[in-house]
Amino acid sequence: MNILLVLIPISFIFLLLAIGIFIWAIRSNQFENLDSAALDILATDNDVDGKVKKTDAD
Amino acid sequence: MNAIVNNIGGMIQTNANSVCFHCGQPINGNPVQEKIHGKLQHFCCTGCSAATQWINDAGLADYYHLRTQQAPQASTESIDLSAWDHADTLAQHSRASDQSDDSRDIIISVQGMHCAACAWLIDRALSTQKGVSEVSVNAVTGRLHLRWQQAQAPLSQLIACLQRLGYRAFLTRGSELEQSRTREKKQLLLRIGLAALVAMQTMMFAEALYLDTSNEMSMGTRDMFRWLCFVTSTPVVFYSGMPFLRGMLNEIRQKALGMDFLAASSILLAYFGSFYQTLIGGQHVWYDAAVMFVLFLLVARFLEYRTRQVAYEQSDALARAQPYLANVFRGEKQFSVPVNQLEVGDCLCVNPGESVAADGFLVSESASFDESLLTGEAQPVTKQRGDFVFAGSIGSLQSSRLQVSQVGRDTQLSQLLYRVELAQLKKSGVTHYAEKIARYFVLGILLIATMVFFYWQYTDASRAFEIALAVLVVSCPCALALALPAAFASAQSALAKIGVLSFNNDGLVTLAKVDAFIFDKTGTLTQGKITRSEDRYYVEDHNAALAIACALEKNSLHPLASAFPEHTSLQANNVQLIPTQGIQGEIDQKRYRIGRADFAAGQIDDGRLWLGDGERAMASFSLKDNVRDDAKDTVAGLRHADIQVHVVSGDAESKVAAIAGDIGIEHAIARQSPEQKQAYLKRLQADGHTVAMVGDGINDALVLASADLSIAMGGGAAIAQRSADMIICGEKLERILQARNIAIKTQAIIKQNLRWALLYNAIGIPVTAMGLIHPGLAALGMVCSSLLVSLNALRLKNVAART
Repeated sequence: MNILLVLIPISFIFLLLAIGIFIWAIRSNQFENLDSAALDILATDNDVDGKVKKTDAD
Repeated sequence: MNAIVNNIGGMIQTNANSVCFHCGQPINGNPVQEKIHGKLQHFCCTGCSAATQWINDAGLADYYHLRTQQAPQASTESIDLSAWDHADTLAQHSRASDQSDDSRDIIISVQGMHCAACAWLIDRALSTQKGVSEVSVNAVTGRLHLRWQQAQAPLSQLIACLQRLGYRAFLTRGSELEQSRTREKKQLLLRIGLAALVAMQTMMFAEALYLDTSNEMSMGTRDMFRWLCFVTSTPVVFYSGMPFLRGMLNEIRQKALGMDFLAASSILLAYFGSFYQTLIGGQHVWYDAAVMFVLFLLVARFLEYRTRQVAYEQSDALARAQPYLANVFRGEKQFSVPVNQLEVGDCLCVNPGESVAADGFLVSESASFDESLLTGEAQPVTKQRGDFVFAGSIGSLQSSRLQVSQVGRDTQLSQLLYRVELAQLKKSGVTHYAEKIARYFVLGILLIATMVFFYWQYTDASRAFEIALAVLVVSCPCALALALPAAFASAQSALAKIGVLSFNNDGLVTLAKVDAFIFDKTGTLTQGKITRSEDRYYVEDHNAALAIACALEKNSLHPLASAFPEHTSLQANNVQLIPTQGIQGEIDQKRYRIGRADFAAGQIDDGRLWLGDGERAMASFSLKDNVRDDAKDTVAGLRHADIQVHVVSGDAESKVAAIAGDIGIEHAIARQSPEQKQAYLKRLQADGHTVAMVGDGINDALVLASADLSIAMGGGAAIAQRSADMIICGEKLERILQARNIAIKTQAIIKQNLRWALLYNAIGIPVTAMGLIHPGLAALGMVCSSLLVSLNALRLKNVAART
């Protein structure tokens, strides 16, 4: 049962980490627009640097 | 919302030649043609074609596939946006961001956002602009949050970008209000997130205790797990559960027990009971029940908050119409002054695309205004010199000048806003009643739980606390208390969507019960706009005769003036209005008369309007007040639902009978004074009918006031003054039918909700009292019950769309 003495503190570290990430997500407005993110996957590819590629279909 | 993404996009393209590719409006006249992706597309205006070009060039053409709703029509007008860069505007509405650079934050309300693709488009379009570091768009609330550097990208330039796409930007009512709302939402999210994460951890520890079924765990390990549960559940109870604890304190202070009291006392009992058991090393702890209860309650509350938020944003559209800066002429110079410094008598200059800041009379010759925010009518309304212009309408086409007559709180718009806000705050009789029931319910539950506790104390003392707690938790006053407000909130939002403002929930309840409708004629069944039909001329030159008639009517306030809309250059002098006879005036030194046959042309009165010089007739016109297009269908729909339809009018017998016959109304009464109308209504009520009165709200206020339900047809913001339970904005009579559908559906949903809440409690409480359900499971049951009620109420939002 001594393994609990290691595992429980580890679980607390993970918990605090998760809470920290959640707080960061809220602070940086990640939950402001929940609708249009779902559309991103349907859009044409973007470049890695975030700039939108020109579509040259015509 | 965005489920069937490609469907509508495809539909738009199939009949692309008759409707605009961008905004989907039918194309009148010559379409603007433009090559998009090698395919020729048609647009309703150059604004829309420019918007499409811009979207295409920015590589955002996917928008057309992603959208589920049409885009707003892009504007062709070039609009002066320099007010956005005004130091006052920036200081009042934006604030310095917490970044080290000189960027600022602003929240802007955007009109014209319909679906997630709009939010996507705006997000992409703005974030590619230089100087913009953060964009977040919320399509549900219509809010845009922007972080930008004024030096690199002036705000006006960013707003211009929005306008190019067809969206209209407005400053929000107050930045503090907006910020506090965002803060409130973030805090609620944080509470839920924390509760969820920590509750998982607590349950993990609690699970270890549950799995020890044969009591093999050493006392030390068991106590360690209990203390761990105590540590993790503490922040959940006291941070996440704070809204309930605070609610309980309020309820105790006001000596009115409610939902929060029951919720908070269950949480605290579970928490402190467990703590006590941990201290004395008792048999059971219920930390997991406490945290789960907090989590589930918060989720239910968040859903309710979202419902309320959407309803709130609907009414907030009105507030958008209030601009912050206005251009005024003082002396010969033009100043840009904050709206709260406007004074009555100021000369206001309204440029195309700007909101009118105050009520006033038009000084310019003529101008057109978009009153869509007030009436829902998309077509701009043309006004002549001296006409009244409402604050909140938007200037279109040309700039104009107004003389301010009412400012600030006195404007019709402000008064309407005030009434809507008041109505939202005010609790209606039925909601009050439901809350009262919930209060007794809470008392009853507390009593039952105490009895259960003492019963088990005698039979199995070790389980007494746990079972009493489970009874407290499983009972669900929330479903009872939520049944009405949730249904009303979504019904109100459904009504707002079809342009019906309901000022109290009681009206909604009555509407479902109404079995007799009384309509006023003029302005209700008819358009209230008199038009000419069947012109007869007795002289050679028809146009000259018509021009004379127009000139005579032009400067009169005669109600018949609207029958002569044609423009004429003729000027009538010495115009006199002779009551019950007609109008007399001089044109080119010759006297003309228009009015009754005996007055104007020396003939026998036949009900037509005659033009002449007093002896000889020149022309005669038949006047007609057009019946609304949807009047017949509406009446048929009402009669189909076994509702009596009456028309009561002050007008002449023949006209009323003709209209009643035309649209199929059996009971038509003519030549009625307001008192007689009221007596008629009272007779119907005495016969046991629930009567709704539909009028234009101006001259039948007396009758409206004594009806069980009063509905006013409202064109323009004058609706603010009218005393009606419900107002139908715009000109559609069939909205009565739609509103009735919503009202009936609301009643059905309330009944379902109440039945469910009673059934659930009737089964849940005895079963729990018998000791068959663990407190944690009880919490789940309770929350599922209130979720069901909330979700059931949300179904109302789509009722209007289906009818």
